[in-house]
Amino acid sequence: MSLTMDCVAKLKILLLGESGVGKSSIILAFTKGDYQAQFPATIGVDYNHKIMDVNGLKVKLGIWDTAGQERYRTLTTSFYREAHGAILVYDVSEPKTLAKLNEWVEELQVYTTNKNIVCLVVGNKIDKDRAVPREHGQAFAQKHRMLFIESSAKTQEGIHLAFEELTQKIIETPGLWEKDTSASNIRVTEEEAREQGGSCYETTCSIK
Amino acid sequence: MNEEIDEYDIYHQDFTTVSEWEVFVARIEEVLIDWRLSKSTMVKHSVENHAKKWFTKSEEISYQGQKFTLSYNYMNCKSKPESTEESSDKSLLVEIQDGLWEATTRFMDDSDESPFPVSNWFGLKQYLMLYPNVALVEGSLIKLVMSSLNIAFANVDCGVPLFVKIREHWQHTYLGFYEDNEYKISFDTIHLKRISNQCSHLTGLVGLFKSKIASPVALDAVVVSTKFSYELKDLDAFAWGQQTQSNEFLSIDGFDVKKLIELPFGCDKNPTKSVLLNAIWPKFRECTIVESSTFSDIDPLMAPTWTLTLKMRENINFQLSELIGKVMELLDNSYLLMDTLGLSKSLGLVNPLNKITEAPITISKLVKAAMGHGRHTSEFKGPISDELLMPLLYYIFPDAVEDGTHIYPPDLKMEFKQDGNGSKLCSYVKSSPEDCLVWRLSVTAAKLHDAGGLSYLAHLWYEFIQELQYRWEMQIPVPGIAEGTPNARTCLLHQKLQLLNCCIKRTIEGNVNTTGHSSEEEFFDCSEGEGAEEQPPWDRPVGRLHRLGEATLKNGAPLYVPRTQDPAPKTEDQLEEDAELMVRLGDDAKASELRARMMSASLLSDMEAFKAANPGAELCDFVRWYSPRDWKSDDGGALGERMLLPGNPWVEAWNVARPVPASRQRRLFDETREAEQILHFLRSRTVSGVAELLLPAIIRAGALRATQEGAIGSSASVGGVDARRTFEIAVRELYEAEKEACRMLCRRKVLGGGEEGQALDAAERARVLRAAGGVLPAVARREFTLRVRDATAPQLMRAALADDITIVGAFTERIVCL
Repeated sequence: MSLTMDCVAKLKILLLGESGVGKSSIILAFTKGDYQAQFPATIGVDYNHKIMDVNGLKVKLGIWDTAGQERYRTLTTSFYREAHGAILVYDVSEPKTLAKLNEWVEELQVYTTNKNIVCLVVGNKIDKDRAVPREHGQAFAQKHRMLFIESSAKTQEGIHLAFEELTQKIIETPGLWEKDTSASNIRVTEEEAREQGGSCYETTCSIK
Repeated sequence: MNEEIDEYDIYHQDFTTVSEWEVFVARIEEVLIDWRLSKSTMVKHSVENHAKKWFTKSEEISYQGQKFTLSYNYMNCKSKPESTEESSDKSLLVEIQDGLWEATTRFMDDSDESPFPVSNWFGLKQYLMLYPNVALVEGSLIKLVMSSLNIAFANVDCGVPLFVKIREHWQHTYLGFYEDNEYKISFDTIHLKRISNQCSHLTGLVGLFKSKIASPVALDAVVVSTKFSYELKDLDAFAWGQQTQSNEFLSIDGFDVKKLIELPFGCDKNPTKSVLLNAIWPKFRECTIVESSTFSDIDPLMAPTWTLTLKMRENINFQLSELIGKVMELLDNSYLLMDTLGLSKSLGLVNPLNKITEAPITISKLVKAAMGHGRHTSEFKGPISDELLMPLLYYIFPDAVEDGTHIYPPDLKMEFKQDGNGSKLCSYVKSSPEDCLVWRLSVTAAKLHDAGGLSYLAHLWYEFIQELQYRWEMQIPVPGIAEGTPNARTCLLHQKLQLLNCCIKRTIEGNVNTTGHSSEEEFFDCSEGEGAEEQPPWDRPVGRLHRLGEATLKNGAPLYVPRTQDPAPKTEDQLEEDAELMVRLGDDAKASELRARMMSASLLSDMEAFKAANPGAELCDFVRWYSPRDWKSDDGGALGERMLLPGNPWVEAWNVARPVPASRQRRLFDETREAEQILHFLRSRTVSGVAELLLPAIIRAGALRATQEGAIGSSASVGGVDARRTFEIAVRELYEAEKEACRMLCRRKVLGGGEEGQALDAAERARVLRAAGGVLPAVARREFTLRVRDATAPQLMRAALADDITIVGAFTERIVCL
C-alpha cells in the first residue's frame, strides 16, 4: 500500500532555545539555503514553511520560530499546542545555552498538547570554536529520549539532515499525525506498534 | 505473450495480446512476491505462545470486472535470530501437518480471532485468502479462479496455503490448497442446507471420510472427537438481575439529584439469548461409541466434559451508548440552540453580525430564588419546571446555596501523564478535571436531553448562560473551574470558563486598585529612588517592581525591572485564529516584518514601562534586562551586533516608546470585551456547537462510569483527526466497552465465576442440570472431528450438523511425478 505523491501531510515544527543560538538562521538555511551573519532578534513568534519529500510522501512543514527571551515565554508557549515536533537549539560555543535547554523541555511538557511530540536537540554553530563537547549534547538528548544532531547554519552542515530526521521520526510515530487529504482516515494505533517504533536512543546521530 | 526476434536482432515483446486471465495470474504472482511468500524467500518464523494475535496485509485485485481482495493473514511471529537458513519445503509442510493435528483439540465453532475460520478449522498459523467482493457462485468461474491460483502458486512456489471464499457470503465455504514437490493438501468445504441421510450420523460420516482418503491399504482406526450442544433458554436460574434506569427523576416526588448525576450503564433487558451446554467426548476410536441412523450410544449425561457457551442477543440497547448517541445526533443540527426556545431574537442572535442590541434578560434564577422573588410575568419560562430546575442549578453552581451538599473538590487539576501508561478509556478526548462544573453541566444536559428532548437541553443552557452573565456583572467567579489561564489541554468549554474567570478576577483587582490608593506605589518608588526630589515631576520614575541585581544603567543609575502587563490569556480557538492569520501572511521578508509588528504590542508595552521606571535609560539598558545575550559590558553597556542592524524593529520600537507605566497603559487585555465575547459565544452557539462543547465531558464521564463497571481501557491513541471523528471513535469504543461489560456480567451470572468454555466440575454440572429441570432438550448442534494418520500424512474431516450441515476436510495426497 504505497502512499501516493499527491497526499500532503501538514506538520507543525517548533524551534526553541536561548536567544541568539541561531534558530532563525537555521530556518533561513533550511528554507532558503541562505545565510546572514546578523539577523534581527525575533520578536515573539515567526512563521515559515517548506515542502519536503519523505519516503515519497510530500510533507508540508510549518516551522514556528520563537523568540528566546525569557519575557516572551508566555507569548511563545501559547503557540506550542498541537505541534508534532520540536527542535531544541543550543550554541556549541556557549555552554550556558545547553544548560538552559532544560527549561524549554519543561515548558514543552507543560504546554504541548501532543503526548508523543518528537524532539530533536541541535548543537548549532559548529563552525565556531567549540566550548561544548559533543558528548554533552548527546547525553542531554539521551536523557530526554530525543534525537541529536550538530549543525552549522553558516556552512549548511547538518541542517537538512536535522529536518529530515525529525520529519521521518514524526511520520513513524503512530497517532501523532494524519494524512491531510481524507478526513475518514482514522488511525487508532495500539501501544504495541509504538513499542516497535523503538525509543529515540537508537536513532541518535551526529555529524562526523 | 509473444516473444519474437526480428531481423535486426532487437528483442521485442508484444503484450497487446495478453489475456485478462494472464494479467490476473501475473498480478497475484506480483503480490505474492511482494509479500515475500515464496518458499525460498520466506523467513522462518516461530509463533510466540503468549498473546496470539492476527495481522493482515491485503491488496485489491480485479478480474473480469469482479473485484477481489487478496489478504495474507498471519499470527504475530518473531523471527528466530539464529535461523537465517532458508525454510525448507519439509519444515513448512511439517508445520502445517502438526497444526492440523493440534487443531483437532478444538471445535469448529471456537474462534481464534483470525478474520476467517479456516485457521481454526485446520490449525493454520498463516494463510492467504482471496475474497471476492461479489459472491462467487458460478461453478465455471470458481474453477477458473482456482486454476489461476494454482498456476500463480506454482510459479511463485508459494509457501502459504491459499484459499478462495466461494458461494454466498453468509456461507462459510472456502476452497484451499497447499503444495510442494511431493505433496498436495486440499482444503475443502461443503455446506448443505439439508442433511443427507448418509451424513446425518457418525457411522455415515466415518464411511465418507474413508472413501475420501481412498487408501489402498487398510487404515488405522479413525479417531473421533465429538461435541453435542443443547440450547438452554429462558431459565430462571440464569435470570437477569440488572435494573433499568428510568427517567423518574422528572417526577417531583421521586426527585433525587443523585439519580440525575449518575449516567446509566448496561443493557435494559437480559442480553443473554440462550446458554449452550456442550457435552464433549474429546477422543475415542471409531467403534467404541456408535451413532448410526438406527441406534445411538451418545448420552450427554455420560460425556466426560461439559462446558457452557453464552449466546448474546443481537440488537440490544445499551443505555449509556444510547444516551450519548442522542447527543451525537445533535452534531448534525445547525440551528441556533436558542431558536429552540424562540429566544434568539430577544437575545439579539438573529443576525450574528449584529451586536447585541437589546439588553438580554440578565436576572439569574438563582438570584431570584435567593431574594425570595415570586414569579415574574415578563420573565422567560422554559419547559423545565422550577421545582426540577432549581436543584439542578444548585448542583451546577453549588456556591449559590449555603447547604454545601454538592461543593466542588477544592483542587481541580488536569492530570496529563507524559508517559501515558494510564490506559484510560477514551483518554484521547480532551476534557476537563473530573467532577468539575463542565462535567456536571454536560452530564446534566445529556440526561435532560434524553428525558425531555432538545428544549430541555436548551432551557438548561439558557439558564447556565444567564447565571454566567450575572456572575460576570456581579464579579463572582464561576465555581468548579481549574485555576489560572486557559489550559489548552482541557476542552474548549472549560477554557472559555477559565478565561471568564480571568476577566472576573482582573475586574476585581482593577476595582481594588481604583478604590484603594492607586498612587501609593508611585510614592513608594519615589522615596526609594535616591535623589528623587531633584528630578522634575515628569521625569519621576514610576512602576518599579524591583532592582535587577546590581545592574546599573549606562548613566550609572540603578536598573529597575518595571511592572509590566501580562500578555492576554487566550483560549485555543483564539490562538488558532492568531496562528492562522500569521500563516496567511505568507513567507517573505515583508510578511515577517508584519508578523513582528503584530507581535510587538507587548514589546512596546514593556519598553514604555521600562522607560517609566528608569528615566534616562537607553536601548542598551533595556536589552540588558530583556535580552541579556544581546548586551555587551563594554563601556558601561553596549548593544550586541544584531541590535545595531539598520531598520531593526527593536530600535524602531524603542524610538516610539514613551515612558508610561503599565498601570496607565492601554490594556493589552480588555476584560470587558473578552467577557462579553465569551457570553456571546456561548449564547450564539448552534445546536451542534453546543453538543460539541458538551460531548468531551459526557464521553469522559461515561468512560469513567464504564471503568467503574469493570470495562478495561484500551491504549489506543488517536491523532490528527477532527473533533467529530474523535467523538465518533470514542463513542464506538465506549459502546464496545459497555457491551463487553454486559457480557462479563452475564458470564458471572451464568457461569458462576468460571470461564466460558471451561470444563465444569461435578457440582457445577449438577447445578446446570438442575437449572435445566433435570432433562436436557433435544440436541441443537452436533459436531464430529475425524482424523487418521495414513502412510502419507494426517487426514482430517470435520462435520457440524444443526439445521444445515457443514463438512470441511484437509486431505493430503502424494503427487506422483513421472
